[in-house]
Amino acid sequence: MEQYNDNVYVIDLGEINTAPEIIFELSSILDKDEARNKRICLKLGNVDLNQAQILSIKSLISGIDSILSSIDTKSIETEKVALSLGIIISNISAENSHEVAPTMPYKTAEELKEEILSQENKQPTKEEDYNIVEEVEEIEESENNIEEQSLEDNKENTTEDIKESEQKEQLEPQKEDVEKQNNEDIKKEEKEEVFDELDVIFGSSPAKNTFFDMESEQSRYEEKEELSDIIVPEQEYTKEDIELESFPTKYIKQTIRSGQVINYEGNIVIIGDCHPGCEITAFGDITVWGILSGIAHAGAGGNQKARVRALKMNAIQLRIANCYSRRPDSLNTVYIEKTNSFTPEEARIINGEIVVFKIND
Amino acid sequence: MAGRVIVITSGKGGVGKTTTSANIGTALAKNGHKVVLVDTDIGLRNLDLLLGLENRIVYTLVDVVEERCKLKQALVKDKKNPNLCLLAAAQTRDKSSVSAEQLKKITEKLKKDYDYILVDCPAGIEQGFQTAIAGASEAIVVTTPEMSAVRDADRIIGLLEAADGIESYKLLINRVRPSMIKSNDMMSVDDVVNILSCQPIGVIPEDTGIITSTNRGEPIVNNEKSLAGKAYINVARRINGEDVPFLDIDEPKNLVGKLKKFLCGLKKQGKE
Repeated sequence: MEQYNDNVYVIDLGEINTAPEIIFELSSILDKDEARNKRICLKLGNVDLNQAQILSIKSLISGIDSILSSIDTKSIETEKVALSLGIIISNISAENSHEVAPTMPYKTAEELKEEILSQENKQPTKEEDYNIVEEVEEIEESENNIEEQSLEDNKENTTEDIKESEQKEQLEPQKEDVEKQNNEDIKKEEKEEVFDELDVIFGSSPAKNTFFDMESEQSRYEEKEELSDIIVPEQEYTKEDIELESFPTKYIKQTIRSGQVINYEGNIVIIGDCHPGCEITAFGDITVWGILSGIAHAGAGGNQKARVRALKMNAIQLRIANCYSRRPDSLNTVYIEKTNSFTPEEARIINGEIVVFKIND
Repeated sequence: MAGRVIVITSGKGGVGKTTTSANIGTALAKNGHKVVLVDTDIGLRNLDLLLGLENRIVYTLVDVVEERCKLKQALVKDKKNPNLCLLAAAQTRDKSSVSAEQLKKITEKLKKDYDYILVDCPAGIEQGFQTAIAGASEAIVVTTPEMSAVRDADRIIGLLEAADGIESYKLLINRVRPSMIKSNDMMSVDDVVNILSCQPIGVIPEDTGIITSTNRGEPIVNNEKSLAGKAYINVARRINGEDVPFLDIDEPKNLVGKLKKFLCGLKKQGKE
């Protein structure tokens, strides 16, 4: 019923048809913490509200330190009264179209996971989906932590098992490769299954299988050669993939400073830092071997599979194809310390949103 | 609605034009006025940083001028105050990207929807300055009690008097240190006023909180304890036509008398 739009809080009461119900529903929504200190846009259906009713709504909202910024109503009567009280009448969808500033802060992989889980928790009716997500979690765990692990043991596996397997590793280093190979096969099957099921979750989103590529990269990026076969099976290659690979690549070995603009109709690799205030636009991928703090726009030609990679992702804004996201306000770091060890990060589109993944060891 | 266009300028760099713009704008918006801040320092923009809106800028002043977007699309709303908007400058271009006529057109358009249009002027007296003052009818000259800043302010006042559109200008004396004035190491407020023979609209004390607030991207007027914040709120009220007495900024008691004298003198001047 409610949605966020930065500091605008939209309350949709379009389906409620009597004034007392509206006020009752509203007071229960306004009890929530997230409604505080916001500009509230009220969406009403075809209900005639009189002056006293609108005033009481207004006082309800001001009681929680928020402002009633606008009302969207189908009733002409309500519109007249609201206008006489100095409240803006707006069509919410039209108002939002003017908000160009990217309202979505970019997410981290954990946030995405949490979100998916919480969404699924909220809707337990879709049991099928829920199971898939559970499975996804398991696979991630197994891939992150353990090299040797069979599919059946997924659930029962504890840290003790990991230790055991590590011991095995030390004892029988020769067998390792064979075992790995076996596991790879299992995982490959597993993955393909999940890919099919993923379509259920993500629909026919163009970024449908990227979620898992990264996870496997996370755990074993040292085995890239082998992995590359597994990550994207040949039949999964799309037009966009081929397009990305056929792009030329430009290498730039310098620090990109504020005000500098780099445009290239291909992939860009920058060996050095990108300071705040610079703009990098590429048709393909952007890879920064350093700290990325400026604005990066990958896939400027509309390529949804383009990615932005950096040793440290601190970009003010990330844009991939037609997706925009801004740095979360909580990440207001004045200065990024240069250390010897970075955790490389990669941003890509998942389900229409830009998500930043950390490559953990 | 016919808004007032006020340019904030100084001539010398680093005296606090941008800080003043951000704080006066925020203070006016807090008082319920609709305010838009226009950053004309193309290529060296900072106003977005002070307001903490750096990560929200998609379109800039240059995009509006070159008609890549609508004016409404380029206005970035403040995080906290919906009355406050920012029209940011482009970082990747230079001052020649916007001409005086083009800025004038934009301010004319903004006048219809906003009560106050505050134009943050770049340092210097070249094209950037001429562009910034083009649409404005009022000016606030920011200076510090240093000889170099006062000289530059004098030059700027001369240019403002010569300019067509500017109907009135006021002086804002920034970074005043009462303790240094007391020990005769700094020009006093009335010294500066006498040298420039210009009406002051506010006196802002030196405050270390300004640095923290800049780094955090939060204007100091949001900090109610800060003396500089209070001084900026008073300036905003004076701009709005209220009669607000000057803030008692000095810590040592001996100076109170001096400042009172100065204030009395001002009142007399006003009456005359």
